[in-house]
Amino acid sequence: MIRWTKPVKFVFLLPAVFWVLAFTVFPLGYSLYLSFHDVDRKVVVTGREKVPVLNEAGEPVLKKSGEPRTKTVVHRELQTNFTWNGFASFIRAFGDEEVGSAVKVTAIFVFTAVTAEIVLGFLLAFLFHRYIFGRAVLRTIMILPIFATPLAVGYLFFTVFYEIGGPLEFVGIPWLSHPDWALVSVILVDIWQWTPFCFLVFLAALQSIPEDLVECARLDSGSAWDLWRIVVIPMLQPVIIIVLLLRLAEAVKLFDIIASLTKGGPGIATQSYSYLAFTQGFKLNDFGYASAMAYLLLIVVMIVVTLFFRRLRQTYA
Amino acid sequence: MLKGLGKSLFGQPAGVPQARARRKRLWFADAGFSIIAIFIALIFFFPIYWAVSNSLRTPAETFTVAGLGVPFLDFTPTLENWISQISTPEASNAFGNSLIISICSVLIALALGLPAAYALARFRFKRIKNKDLTIWFLSQRVLPPVATAVPFFIVFSSLDMLDTHAALILVNATFILPFVVVIVRQTFQDLPIELEEAALVDGGSHFAAFFRVAIPLALPAIAASALIMFAFAWNEYLFAVILTIKESATMPVHIAGGVDSRGVQFWFVAVRSLIAMVPPVLIALFAQRYIVRGLTLGAVKG
Repeated sequence: MIRWTKPVKFVFLLPAVFWVLAFTVFPLGYSLYLSFHDVDRKVVVTGREKVPVLNEAGEPVLKKSGEPRTKTVVHRELQTNFTWNGFASFIRAFGDEEVGSAVKVTAIFVFTAVTAEIVLGFLLAFLFHRYIFGRAVLRTIMILPIFATPLAVGYLFFTVFYEIGGPLEFVGIPWLSHPDWALVSVILVDIWQWTPFCFLVFLAALQSIPEDLVECARLDSGSAWDLWRIVVIPMLQPVIIIVLLLRLAEAVKLFDIIASLTKGGPGIATQSYSYLAFTQGFKLNDFGYASAMAYLLLIVVMIVVTLFFRRLRQTYA
Repeated sequence: MLKGLGKSLFGQPAGVPQARARRKRLWFADAGFSIIAIFIALIFFFPIYWAVSNSLRTPAETFTVAGLGVPFLDFTPTLENWISQISTPEASNAFGNSLIISICSVLIALALGLPAAYALARFRFKRIKNKDLTIWFLSQRVLPPVATAVPFFIVFSSLDMLDTHAALILVNATFILPFVVVIVRQTFQDLPIELEEAALVDGGSHFAAFFRVAIPLALPAIAASALIMFAFAWNEYLFAVILTIKESATMPVHIAGGVDSRGVQFWFVAVRSLIAMVPPVLIALFAQRYIVRGLTLGAVKG
């Protein structure tokens, strides 16, 4: 009898556990610390020193007067000072109009894009589940967007949405220059990239429904509605939930497309939450505030994941 | 009418006589749905086509050519943009950086993830259950990267590691780790346990069972997970733009820098986007069979 509970199991598992602790849990803890502090990073002059100027041979260069020539070396050091400021960053975030706008933009984006992707993915999966001429080739074409570099996709669509001479000019929509349409454009790009993912997963799920189950239901009652109610919906429900979770978690991260397609503009009309946190931290150097903002996002994501937690546990049982 | 729809949605595999008979009846439906499917696939392909078309034009033609801009038909294609882009030292530097960083982070992720996947698939953990451990690994996948961006930046800058390959390799290895854990864990679980137990009974250690039996049998899934992880590491932008400046700039950072300083130059934008996208997209094609399982974190077996 082989025991699969020997202590050797920890040798297999622990390296990865320690790695995640070091590179995920520790940064998250540090980030929490930062979010309660005001982070001041500046280059400070720590001292000046006069040193003799040397020539190539390493000998001091002398002035005409015979004294060694000197130059002043300034010692600089990057100093990071943390000052405790309690909940100030969090309170500031709740009153910040830009944060409010970013939350609104992100919420509209997440809701619209994820709904559209799941609905379209579903319809496409049904379309491809039946006989289609050249199905394998078409399916392969549909896969291409999933792995396309998101940043490059943003630039790609910049050329597509270009308003003068672009291929969509004939529609007459100010794709990127109007605040509302710019958000629509961002949503369309996300739909382009992620509908194929939903489609692929739903298609796999449909194809995994055993044929005799379908046949059984059909012989039993013959109505399309019963087929749906008894077979299709129960079989697809867990898949829909996992896709929904993954898309929600992924969509709130929205960053790359904004960084390349709109830069948050026009104005702040497409500034997503992640993009705003990034700008606060790395353009305005307000690390404490950026950390607090990121933490608020993290809390929202955790709540979403917790809502799905029971379903996840069943999946990995 | 609904009845017919329900049946046509669940077509039987080709070859079954009944299905063939039905297909004969519904040939017009087949043709109609095929045309819709082809049309949709074309819509999804269009942006990529448009970039290729733009990249083959001279600068003036990117603005003047009207309509769909079919090469040879609407303009004479030229490879000039490609040649002038690929030949810059920055481009080859960025390409090399992306390769080194992606490959190294995949190797680290495999070294850590394969044993962990095996442990979760085969051994039984009591205090924290296997499924909870698995979810703990997965939860990194949903973690918003901005949450760890600031700490990583501060730590790496105080260690003087900004703009080094190592910094990005460490970060990327961390966030691609869930893929190898879930994809390969599932594969290990599906292997017949008797083979490993036979190796153990013959006096081999658990390591022997892991290296000599489990890994060789799971090799296709391991390769597929490596490809998927490579694509994700390659596409990563947020950490790349924060942690690199010039020397270690990856492909996405490189294309962003070029576009921002040059402004609207479609021919360059197109070439650079395509160069950045080619490796991960090609990989997607090779790993097709495992995409569903990989991207749904093992929850759906494609």
